[in-house]
Amino acid sequence: MPTFRNHLGLAVVAAGLVLPGAACTGRVTGRAGATSTGGPGAGNSTGAGNGTGAGGATGQGGSTQMVAGPAVLNGMTPEQVLATCQAPNPGRSPLRRLSNAEYRNTITDLFASVPTIVSMVPAVTAEFPPEPVSLGFRNSGDYLNVPTLAAQKYMDAADAISTAAAAAPSFVTCANGTKDATCAAAFVASFGKQVYRRPLTAADTSQYTALYQKAISSGYDFQTGIEWIVYAMLQSQQFLYRFELNSKPTGAYATPSPYEMASRLSYLYWQSMPDQTLFAAADSGQLATQAQIEAQARRLLADPKASRLLEYFNEWLSLDALGEMTRDPTVFPNLDPNLPSLLQQETYAFVSDLMSSPTGDFTTLLTAPYTFANAALAKHYGFPGVTGTAFQKVATPGRSGVLTQGMMLAHDKATRTSIVRRGLEVRTEVLCQIVPAPPPNVNITLDDASQANLSQKQRLEQHRTNASCASCHNLMDPIGVVFEGFDAVGRPRTLDDSGQPVVTASTVGFSQDANGDVSDPAALGQLLAKSDEVRGCYATNTFRFFYGREVEAPDACSMARLLVDFKSTGYNLKELLVGLTRTDAFLYREVSP
Amino acid sequence: MSSYKPPCKPLSRRTFLRGASGVALALPMLDAMTPRRAFGQAAPAAPKRIMFVFQSNGDQISRRFTATGETTFQFDEFLAPLEPYRQDLLILHNLDKRFGKLPAGSVADNHEQGGSSLAPWPSGTGSYPIGGAMTTIGFVLGPSADRAIGERSLKDVPSLPYQHLVYRVGGNHNDIWNLHSHAGPVGTQSPIPPETDPYAAYARIFTFNDPNDAAAQAAIKKKLAKQQSALDLVLAEAATLETKVGAADKMKLDMHMSSLRDIERTLQSPMTSTAAGMACVPTDLGTKIDVFNDDNHIVIGNLFFKISALAFACDLTRTIQFNWSGNTSNRIYKNLGMTQGHHDMSHDSSDPAFANIRAIHKHLWTQNTTLYDILKNTPDGAGTLWDNTLVVHWNELAQGDTHAINNCMVIFAGVAQNTFRRGRLLDFQNKASYSDMLLSCFQYMGFSDVTSFGDSRLAWLGTPLPGLT
Repeated sequence: MPTFRNHLGLAVVAAGLVLPGAACTGRVTGRAGATSTGGPGAGNSTGAGNGTGAGGATGQGGSTQMVAGPAVLNGMTPEQVLATCQAPNPGRSPLRRLSNAEYRNTITDLFASVPTIVSMVPAVTAEFPPEPVSLGFRNSGDYLNVPTLAAQKYMDAADAISTAAAAAPSFVTCANGTKDATCAAAFVASFGKQVYRRPLTAADTSQYTALYQKAISSGYDFQTGIEWIVYAMLQSQQFLYRFELNSKPTGAYATPSPYEMASRLSYLYWQSMPDQTLFAAADSGQLATQAQIEAQARRLLADPKASRLLEYFNEWLSLDALGEMTRDPTVFPNLDPNLPSLLQQETYAFVSDLMSSPTGDFTTLLTAPYTFANAALAKHYGFPGVTGTAFQKVATPGRSGVLTQGMMLAHDKATRTSIVRRGLEVRTEVLCQIVPAPPPNVNITLDDASQANLSQKQRLEQHRTNASCASCHNLMDPIGVVFEGFDAVGRPRTLDDSGQPVVTASTVGFSQDANGDVSDPAALGQLLAKSDEVRGCYATNTFRFFYGREVEAPDACSMARLLVDFKSTGYNLKELLVGLTRTDAFLYREVSP
Repeated sequence: MSSYKPPCKPLSRRTFLRGASGVALALPMLDAMTPRRAFGQAAPAAPKRIMFVFQSNGDQISRRFTATGETTFQFDEFLAPLEPYRQDLLILHNLDKRFGKLPAGSVADNHEQGGSSLAPWPSGTGSYPIGGAMTTIGFVLGPSADRAIGERSLKDVPSLPYQHLVYRVGGNHNDIWNLHSHAGPVGTQSPIPPETDPYAAYARIFTFNDPNDAAAQAAIKKKLAKQQSALDLVLAEAATLETKVGAADKMKLDMHMSSLRDIERTLQSPMTSTAAGMACVPTDLGTKIDVFNDDNHIVIGNLFFKISALAFACDLTRTIQFNWSGNTSNRIYKNLGMTQGHHDMSHDSSDPAFANIRAIHKHLWTQNTTLYDILKNTPDGAGTLWDNTLVVHWNELAQGDTHAINNCMVIFAGVAQNTFRRGRLLDFQNKASYSDMLLSCFQYMGFSDVTSFGDSRLAWLGTPLPGLT
C-alpha cells in the first residue's frame, strides 16, 4: 500500500460540499470585490494586557485595496489602461525574506565551489519550517517572517555550512599565502559581496573584521575566524531578506540600484542570487535600461538554472501536496508506491518542454493532446510502448494539457473521484474565482445508501435541484463532471465509481467568457484556453508568485502591461515571463513609507 | 545589539542539567522519572504551566454526557476514558465562540476561524479564495493565547528560554487549516509554524552534556562563543536596518530580532531551581519513524507528550500548544477500521457517521490520558507536573455536521495548583464565550493584570468565567 498522505489543503476543505442556504446566493464573477485588508505583518507585542483588544482590529502594513488580478483594470481593457499610464506606479514592495526554495538555491550558488556544501544543502535545510501558504503560494513577502523556530533552523544550517566551508581547502585563498587579518579582510570583502548581493560598506566590513579579531583574541585560529564570519553572514538579515535600501527616489517612486536590479532578475528566474555576469553588469552600470534588463532576462531564462522557476508550477498546481494523497488499497490495489512523485515529474517534464520551446503557449498548456511519461508512469496510465526511466513525450488523444494530468485528478478522495473537488480546483486555480465556504448542516459525503444506484453526477444533480445548493455547486460540479472519464488516480475509464456509464458532456457557466457546452475535457480545455478571463487568471498567478504578493489596486498599469504583452506574443509562456521585467512593479519600487 | 550581557560568560544552561550523564538513558521516560524527593529537601515552589491540546472537527454534542449535574455528571461513551481522572477535571460545557458577532469579511468559515479559537480576533483578508463570503480570507489579526501567555511569562521571568512551544501531529503543510498559533501583534497576520517532527523538536531544545568531559566542554565553550558573537553582530546590524525601512517591514524585522533574543536566552539564561529537578534528564525517543505517516500518529503524539513534560520539567517554557491535527483534519483513521476522512464524515448527520466520529474522539481522549499519566509521573516541585499544570482541551467546532460554534466543550485537566475547584461540570448555557475562558487561563497563570484578551465582540462576559475557583 502506498503511504500517500492526506492533503489537508485548499482543495479538501471546500471539496465535496453541498451548499444550501444564504451562504452562496451572492453574485459570483471572476472578480473578488475590493476589500480592505488587515495587512499581514509581524511583531512582538501581543494583545494580552489591560484594556487591549477592544473593538475591531485594524490592519497595518498593507492598507491598500486588495482585488484579484484583472479586476484592478476596473472594467477597462488592458490597452485602455495602458494608454492612461504615465508616472510609474510600482505598488507595494514588501521586504521579502528568502523562501525555503530560494534559500536552498542561494546556498547552492554561493558555495558552488565547495561540493561538500552543495551536497549537504538538502539535509541542513530539511527542518526549515514550511512557509505559510497564501493564495496558493509559499513565497508571499507579506507572510514570510522569522519566528523563533526558523531563526534556530537558520542558525543550525549556518553552523553546519560555516564549519564545512572554513574546513574546505579551496574556500579561502590568501593572496600572499599568509592566513592573517589582511587575508580575512579580503575574504570579507569578496565573499560578503556575494552574501549581501552588493559591495559591502565600510560599516559592514568593520563588523566582520571585528568578529574575526574576536575569534583570534579568544585564542582561536584563522580557520575559526573564517568560520565565524561565514556563520554570522548567513544569519544576517541582509542575507535572509532582499533589502532594497539603495533605490533612488524620484517623487512617489524609486529606481532600484544596479545591485538591487541584479537580485530582482536572478530571484525572478533562478530563485537565487545573481551570478558573476549579473554582478559585473551591476558593477558597470549595465542594468539601467529596459533593453539591458530584458537582455539579461533572456539570458537567465536560457540558463539551466531557470529550471528552478518550475517551483511556480509546483505551488500553483499544488504538486507539492501530492505526497499527502491517500488511496484505499482495496479500491486501488497495486498502485506504484512512487505515484505522487511520478505525477509530479509528469507535470514538470510537460511544462519544462513548453517553457524551453519558443512556441510554448498558454493554449498548449491547457489543451495539449500529449503528456510525458516514463515506463513506470506509462504502466500506471496504460500507455503502451514506453520504456526506461526517462520521461518522454507520449500522445494522449482525449487528454487536455495540465487539466487532465494525473496530478490534477489526484485531488480526489481515498475511494473515488470527487467531481466537486475537481471543479473547485479549476474554478479557483484556473479561473481565479472565489467559492464561498460551505454552510453548516449539510451532508457532504454523497454516500447515502438510498442513492446507491445513482452515479455521483446524478446525485449532485439531485442536490442542485435545491436552488440554494445550486448557487454554489453550479460553480463546481459542471466543470468537475467533464473529468469523470478519469478515475481517482488519473486513469481513463468508461464506468464511474458506482458502475454507471461515464457522461462527460456538460455546460459551463458563471464566467465572463468561458461559458458554453462542452463534450469532454479536450473541449473544456479549448473553451478555457481562449478565455481572456482564464488568461488573466494565469497572468494573475504569475504576478502573485514572481512578485511575491497579491495584485492590488495600484498595480493596474503593471497588470495591463503584462496582459498586453501576453496577448501580443500569442500568449507565449516564456514571453510572459520576460514581460515580468517590463512592469512598474518590477522596474521600480515604492518609496518606503 | 544585545541588550543583556551576563557579568561573566556562562556555559550553556544545558551543560549543567543535573542528572545529565551524556548518555541518553535507554529507559522509557516513565521509568526514568519515577518520583523521588531528593535529600528530603523542601522543594521550591513550582511554576504554573499550561498546555493547550487540540482535536478537530467537533464531536457529538448530545452524546457527551448522560447526566450534566455539577458533581453528578456522567460521561457518555466517547468521554468515558476520562472517568478515572474526573476528580481533577473541570468540564466547561456549552461555551459560545460568538464568531457571528464579527462583521462579514472579517470572519472565516467556522472551521477556519475555529482553528484560531485561541486567538479571538477578526480574520484578515488576502490569503484564501474560499472560506470568506465573497472575498478572500486571511489569518487572524492577533496573537493566540499560548503566545500571549508565553510573552507575559517572559515578562515575569526574563530568563525563560522559550515563550511557548507549538507542536502538531501530521503533515507539514502550513495553511489556514493547519496554523493554530499566532504571534500578533494585534492588527497583523503572523501565524507561527508548529513543529511536526518530535525528534527534531527534542534535539532543538535539549542537549545533555557531561560536565566532566573536558573536551566536550571546550567544544561547547567554543560553539557558545561562536553563537554569541554572531548574535551580537546580527542584532546590532538589525537595529540599524530597522531605522531604514517602513513600518510594515519594521514589524517583520522586530519579530526576527525577538526570535534572536529568544535564542540568546537559551544560551545565556542561568539554570532555574526547577530545571535542576530530578525529572530533567535525557529521554530516549526510540527508533525514528516516519513522522508524516498517519499510521504513526499515536506514537508521534505520545512523543510530543513526553517532550512537553520534559520541557516543563526543565523549565524551558511554561506554555505549550499541542495539536492532534490541524482543523478540518481529513485524516483517515485506518487504525479504527475507517476508509473515509474525518472531516468528510463529520459532515454526515447519519447515525453510522456519528458512531465513527465518536470512535475517533474516544480514541483521542484515550490518548490524552497518556499525557495525564506522564504528567502524574513526572516529579516537579513538591509533587508532580500534574499538580502544577493546567491542560486545556479544545476543538475548532462543537459539532461537525452543523459547524456549531456554540455548545462548545472545553475541559480543564490537572490539579493546576488547586486554582480551580475540580471534579465538576459547569454548564454556561452559551452565555459565556471562549475568550472569557481564555481570560481564566491568564488568571490561572497569575496574570491578573490581563483583564481583556481578544476582540471585545467575541467576549460574552468580558471577565474570567465565574464559578471556577
